[in-house]
Amino acid sequence: MRRLYTAFLATVMALSLVTLFSKNVEAQGIPQNIPRKELLILENPEGTIKNAGWFNIWAINAGSQSNGLQQAALDTLWYIDPEKGIDGAWDNSLAADKPIYNADFTEMRVKLRKGIFWSDGVEFTSADVKATVDIQIKNPNMRFSAVLRNNVASVDAPDAETVIFKLHKPNSRFHTNFTVRWGAIWILPKHVFDKVEDPTKFDFNKPVSLSAYTLHSFDPDGKWYIWQLREDWQRTSLGRYGKPGPKYLAYVDPGPPEKRVIAQLNHELDVIHDIAPEGMFTLAKQSKSTKAWFKGFPYGHPDPTLAGVIFNTQNEHLKNRDVRWALALMIDIRAVTMAAYRGAATISAIPVPPTGIHPDAYHKPLEAWVKDFEIDTGKSKHKPYDPNVSKQIADMLRPSMGDQIPKDDKEIKDSFGLGWWKTNLEAATELLERAGYRKQANQWMTPDGKPFTVRLMVEGDLRPVMTRAGTMIVQQWKQAGIDARVDVAQGTLLTRRSAGDFDAFIGWSVETWGGHQDLSYFMDSWHSAFLAEPGKPQPLRNWQRWSHPELDGIIEKIRKIGFDDPKGIELGHDYVKLVTREMPFIPLMAYNVFTAMDHTYWTGFPTSDNPYANPVTNWGNSRYMFVKLKPAN
Amino acid sequence: MPAYFNFAIKRLWQFVLVVFIGINIAYVITHVTPIDPVEQSISAVTSFGNTSPEAIADMRRSLQELYGLKGDWIEQYISFWRRILQADFGPSLSAFPAPVTSLIARALPWTFGLLAFTTLVSWSVGNLLGALAGYYRNNRSLKFFGVLAMALHPVPYYIVALSLMIVFGFIWPVLPITGGSAMDVQQGWNWQFVASVFHHSVLPALSLIMIGIGSWFLGMRSLVSNIITEDYVVYAEIGGVAQSRMMGSYIIRNALAPQVTGLAMSLGGIFNGAVITEKIFGYPGLGSLLVDGVYAGDYGLVLGVTSIAIIGVSLSVLVIDLIYPLIDPRVQVAS
Repeated sequence: MRRLYTAFLATVMALSLVTLFSKNVEAQGIPQNIPRKELLILENPEGTIKNAGWFNIWAINAGSQSNGLQQAALDTLWYIDPEKGIDGAWDNSLAADKPIYNADFTEMRVKLRKGIFWSDGVEFTSADVKATVDIQIKNPNMRFSAVLRNNVASVDAPDAETVIFKLHKPNSRFHTNFTVRWGAIWILPKHVFDKVEDPTKFDFNKPVSLSAYTLHSFDPDGKWYIWQLREDWQRTSLGRYGKPGPKYLAYVDPGPPEKRVIAQLNHELDVIHDIAPEGMFTLAKQSKSTKAWFKGFPYGHPDPTLAGVIFNTQNEHLKNRDVRWALALMIDIRAVTMAAYRGAATISAIPVPPTGIHPDAYHKPLEAWVKDFEIDTGKSKHKPYDPNVSKQIADMLRPSMGDQIPKDDKEIKDSFGLGWWKTNLEAATELLERAGYRKQANQWMTPDGKPFTVRLMVEGDLRPVMTRAGTMIVQQWKQAGIDARVDVAQGTLLTRRSAGDFDAFIGWSVETWGGHQDLSYFMDSWHSAFLAEPGKPQPLRNWQRWSHPELDGIIEKIRKIGFDDPKGIELGHDYVKLVTREMPFIPLMAYNVFTAMDHTYWTGFPTSDNPYANPVTNWGNSRYMFVKLKPAN
Repeated sequence: MPAYFNFAIKRLWQFVLVVFIGINIAYVITHVTPIDPVEQSISAVTSFGNTSPEAIADMRRSLQELYGLKGDWIEQYISFWRRILQADFGPSLSAFPAPVTSLIARALPWTFGLLAFTTLVSWSVGNLLGALAGYYRNNRSLKFFGVLAMALHPVPYYIVALSLMIVFGFIWPVLPITGGSAMDVQQGWNWQFVASVFHHSVLPALSLIMIGIGSWFLGMRSLVSNIITEDYVVYAEIGGVAQSRMMGSYIIRNALAPQVTGLAMSLGGIFNGAVITEKIFGYPGLGSLLVDGVYAGDYGLVLGVTSIAIIGVSLSVLVIDLIYPLIDPRVQVAS
């Protein structure tokens, strides 16, 4: 028996040694057969892909999109960068020029580039664009079928470089369906899909690509995808900007945030899509080679998405503007940014994300108006705007973060945003009293004598940063006498958001182009014609279920002007003023994405000092990064 | 033998009934989930851009039709059982149109391989060392192992897993911390892939074995400690029976009966997957598939995985019930 025991111990020791030294220490989380210096490793935030071998992005909900497919292999007519772009935010990609509409916006004409080829050597032509539309209209259960069917009466390709869309009704923004913000309607290869009987059941494996990379290999279990630079990369739209640096791209599922940090510290993950602020701080402290969008605090890239407290304005109490404003004035944004992002946030008092072109188009021109903006409670008048909030946040952070916090006033405003609303409990009290609410002890009571309860829905650990913001706001409302509760929705948030099953939630209903001033991207869906009855599903994005005749007027005017018309900015200012007065949601801050870039193998990543592209790995626009990357020495 | 045959038939019917009831409960629970798969899909589909509200309404109608969510619940229920009897769980709604069975078939070998191996190793090593520790109560190394097992046993699994990951993935980075195999290695019966699978499974397997071994060790040590005081063992010892025979035939064999039942239950539980292990180590498997299905409101997928788990656990209990009378003469089948 003792011999057996000794044999057991010997076996365990032998196995341990074999396991630990059987592989090269360097080669644990990287491809085995590709030189590391030719490879860029990026995070695919979609995680593990269930049906990994599916590349037909035109089928509904089928495979991965951000596994490199939309960033490296597909292409469409135009791109708008959320930042400044390589040659301006607008990029004519497959199109040779901007879209040309007729006078009443019922027809859109597109001129295409010549000399673009699919990876199998077939030339890209207008027939591909026409097929993209026709196939999806003919098959109603495809990803873009509904939007195309609702818009397109017919599409013609009179010659190889011209496409003419005839629309059912005027739509001055039809081209945005073929314009990449995060994604868009991608062009499919006619010569491949023509041979397919049922395009909804076609896996498109191996995909024929139109952009600079083609599929090299992938994990059938959906953990990784490797793309290889096409030998004829010059014959793609990206070729205009020179040869992409990395010969190979690997999009991987690196696992939860702590593993992403470890992977980057081990130089096995060049670009992290997003991590918690604490992870970013760890990388900033421990890794000399990691850099983020801002060179110091607050690090993260502000997405053109505005996080805020979205009220259900069909709720009996929250339909009252005074109540909504009272709740806004109970918030201390400094504490909220500390709780959510540990201070690493870019705040916005107005309903436009403080990123891309927007600070110059909206925040700065309107700051004088916001400073003068006055709330008349009936008992007193208040100017709620505090232009120094971002400076206060910077001062609060300086003792712990030291030199990482900018000192220059302009730099502080660029990083942390401009001002926000001052906490003003006196004004909040007067507004609630005007609305018929009464305070008993420290508890606000509704006009019908019940405790004023607000359930603030958060997503829980699926979106921890926003959950922390929501929890802090609930705490502040409670301190001010509201019976506020955190309502953790987890995976039910999307269903409940659509059904209007919430009093308020932390999320966003404002998403913009970032690099372009046009606000119709989100605003058009706020028209009262699309407002759902209580209890019925609300089409995106008017989650606040709010409408206003003045807003309808603004939307209708925007529909009648061109995308680049300067009047769009004026109308955008009108929108900002209206929403600020009405407060259907409380704008908080940009949705900051902590994209961490390791400079060990590659240099030339986009940053706030060189904002030529959005570095966030799942955005289609991140492809512009590839042509600027150079191998590190 | 007729008594045993009757017993077997009765147990078989019970098995069918348990599976039927279990799958029905799973069906009801998955269909009352507040997550609407159509809304989940719309959210994913519209993430690309400015989809108009009319198009969304149109898309909602299409998706309901496509996902088979139209029609009353009786039609859906009958159709569900018709498919189950053909071993078809329909398409996954979150990975449409991939069949649920193909997703399960891809995940199952990973789960089965990892959990069957770790369960068997934990069971074998835990019981062997437990038996030795119960018999040789003064052996120092076995005492030390006992202290180690007692110390590790109550530690939450994720703490052990994260500690291993930090030690072997970061401080001394010699083992992979994510995935089931290395990138750029083609799956198949080739040495590079097999070695890579082995290498990637070391940390998840080690974490499961470290936590799993303790309960078997402690249980077996207690059983053996009791058995060695039994009269027949004392009599055999006085009679000069060899130690190895004493251990094998008199002690371990008698102590093993409840441990074998536990093993069967654990092997059946394999089909539940190991959610935390899979999440922490990014290991492919049924657990992650189940969690993803729940969050996506993908009832076809959730039902598929839970049905496999229900059948797995019930089947293992059935097998144990059927073989118990054969391996343990003390168990009598009622005539």
